[in-house]
Amino acid sequence: MSDRVDLQEFVVGFVAEADELVSAATAQLLEIEAGNTAGVLRPKAVRDLFRGLHTIKGLAGMIGVEPIVVLAHALETVLRAADRAGGHLGSRSVSLAVQVVQAISERVRAVATGHIPEPAPEALLEALATINLTAAVAPPPPRASIPAWDQRMGAGERQQVMQAFAEGIPVYTVTFVPSEAQSAHGHTIATVRAALAALGELVKVAPRATPIGVAFDLLLATRADRAVVATAAATTDEAIVLIEPPAPAESAAIEDRAAAATSLPASPIEDTASTAVAAIGRAVVRVELSRLDDLQELLSSLVVSRFRLERELVVQAERGVDVRRLRELADRQSVQLRELRRAILRARMVRMSEVLDPLALVVRSLVRPGVKEVKLVVDAHDAEVDKAVADRILPAIVHLVRNAVDHAIESPDERVAAGKPRAGTVQVNCTNIGNRLELAIIDDGRGIDRAAVARRAGRAISDDGELLDVLTAPGFSTRDVISQVSGRGLGMDIVRRIAVSDLGGDLEVRSELGRGTTFTVRVPVTIAIVDVFSFALGAQSFVTPVATVDEIFELSDTLTHRPPSRAGTRAAVAMVERRGAVVSLVSLGELLAIHSTVPATKAIVVHRNGERLAFAVDRMLGRQEVVIRPIEDPLARRPGIAGATDLGDGRPTLVLDLVELGAGIARRHDPIIAAPRSS
Amino acid sequence: MTNVLHVAFRVGAAEYVVPASLVLHLDAFVTATPIPGSAAYVAGLVQVRGRLVPVVDLRVRFGVTSDDQPSVGRRVIVVQSGGRTAGLLADSAREVIGIDVTGFAPPPELVESQATGFVKAVAALGTRLVLLIDVPRILGEEHRHD
Repeated sequence: MSDRVDLQEFVVGFVAEADELVSAATAQLLEIEAGNTAGVLRPKAVRDLFRGLHTIKGLAGMIGVEPIVVLAHALETVLRAADRAGGHLGSRSVSLAVQVVQAISERVRAVATGHIPEPAPEALLEALATINLTAAVAPPPPRASIPAWDQRMGAGERQQVMQAFAEGIPVYTVTFVPSEAQSAHGHTIATVRAALAALGELVKVAPRATPIGVAFDLLLATRADRAVVATAAATTDEAIVLIEPPAPAESAAIEDRAAAATSLPASPIEDTASTAVAAIGRAVVRVELSRLDDLQELLSSLVVSRFRLERELVVQAERGVDVRRLRELADRQSVQLRELRRAILRARMVRMSEVLDPLALVVRSLVRPGVKEVKLVVDAHDAEVDKAVADRILPAIVHLVRNAVDHAIESPDERVAAGKPRAGTVQVNCTNIGNRLELAIIDDGRGIDRAAVARRAGRAISDDGELLDVLTAPGFSTRDVISQVSGRGLGMDIVRRIAVSDLGGDLEVRSELGRGTTFTVRVPVTIAIVDVFSFALGAQSFVTPVATVDEIFELSDTLTHRPPSRAGTRAAVAMVERRGAVVSLVSLGELLAIHSTVPATKAIVVHRNGERLAFAVDRMLGRQEVVIRPIEDPLARRPGIAGATDLGDGRPTLVLDLVELGAGIARRHDPIIAAPRSS
Repeated sequence: MTNVLHVAFRVGAAEYVVPASLVLHLDAFVTATPIPGSAAYVAGLVQVRGRLVPVVDLRVRFGVTSDDQPSVGRRVIVVQSGGRTAGLLADSAREVIGIDVTGFAPPPELVESQATGFVKAVAALGTRLVLLIDVPRILGEEHRHD
């Protein structure tokens, strides 16, 4: 079995690495794309992309994921040619590259979840093969290679150097190594920089890390004598290297340049701005989520043993033992536990701006000039969310954005005819509001045609709430012709499941015909610890989140009115009078088919769609904070069961979502539930 | 090497095996939290090292009707299959045996009807007959994640 474990670890490593490379590739493609739009080549991005794919190919080869190898290889071929063409990657190639990166990403996910990745899509491979590589090579931009500086120069700086060469001005690399001795003599990078700038044109100053500290390479074009330069730079003649003007026909192949790059002393650092970034980067540790989960696991067992301690304290106090000192310590420990929890939760937070990065690519892949033009605006402020929440919510957001682009935004002609800008806008806003994250997906498209949806659903829709109910009913689609996109991925029912059932959040829609649609998703920033009521039904205990409970009241038979029971209904619905209003009352034990020998004593009231619904339970047990774990396996997933928790006995206790259970009843007993509303 | 380690377990009168590579661990079965509304063969939910795992009662799943169910010694075999983790509740499970996988033969019809397609193959180990279970089918492939 040890073999399997090793491979498993390797797969985890592969997935982590590949995920990172895929997201880097995504960023590079977007950069190239932006460059194409602005008419600027991005040779560095093309080269980095090429290297990234090469690495993915190697990694995938090692664990034998052939489809990824094939995909990466095909794109690599195109990119190598593009790199030789000075970084020229046409828009069609970018489109195909986007698809390849997505296909690779899907297959990495398959590997991550223990599935067999699908073979590389033939059509995509064929399309890649038909890219005219020679045509791409044809227009080599006029550029020259200056090996030691190629990686570090921008287009403008390169232009400056070429200008100097053209005018016959010598160009030098001057290296200055700051040291205590140097600064004792008054020589710092600032003084050297000023002295050299006075001699000619100081094109670039690039710091780089060396084994003993930092060194600065200064690129200087000057007619001054080498000795003068050496004096100005407070250095010796050996630290000055003349750069030969390249032969005009030279066009460095990638292999040469790669070699040049590796021969650079130590790792070059771009400029002061990225030096700062690099410094910050060193203070960041990438941690596998599972390790943070372990921490949280430990914390939750601490929380559980804290409960036990609390219980024991109460028992001892009841026996008349003086527990005041212990109580003080226990209270202090409670505070410390809360702080520890907060610290762990903070460690798990990720920035929404990063989480939403893939959206740009999603929109990019759906846009077709002249057919569908869409501008994506992401405004994430400083919103942060638990990594586990981020991973779960992203597919829902991607789906909503995809839907907006695919269904909501009209063609440019339609839009112009309607007096709207040609390009539609899809905006994603996120804000942290208290302990919740609010995400709004706003489009300025055609809006949802309520009448059409109502016809299709065969029921009346009077407001946005009902519209959402219909849209999120399993399997509902407003499209008779399934478009290329809507056929894929999740339906709106899954969006609701993710937001509401999985994350305990809520989903809202506002739509205005002709003006656009806004979906609002609110989810807890973290799904870890929840305040719950615990109660008993027969021999089983359950909990339900305090946040969903309106009130709990004592049941008294005199107040209960039981309408004539209907045959075949499992849970009879009764009425109770509560603060002058009639509330439907359901026996939770009957609803869940749990046998109980004692009469119900309490009722828990929840709110659903503006209506109050009471559930009768045997007795209340208490209120506490618990760690809720999601139930992942479909065998154990039931509507109305939001997860499970450990109340300290090492056994799972189910967390009931009474609001969702109420929805189930409303569907089964519509007429009875509806009746009190009119009274 | 065709000799592959399997975990052997008993349900009713028959002896079954599952490849050890699918087994995460074996736990004594005490109790599971019933899940209202779940399939009859789902005994409930247990907590295995901080994870929530559904337990499939193999007696119910295989339609074993004899009432010789032991009150002690029942085991949960925690298996991993297609990204899912689930427990299989057996009457007993004690042994890990190496089985020459070339010795597996398609199940005779009788067996197949008894365990309604949950047996993939059978092997004879001396006088013992062991049935190789089809884990994905037991967990219900219709429940597979996409």
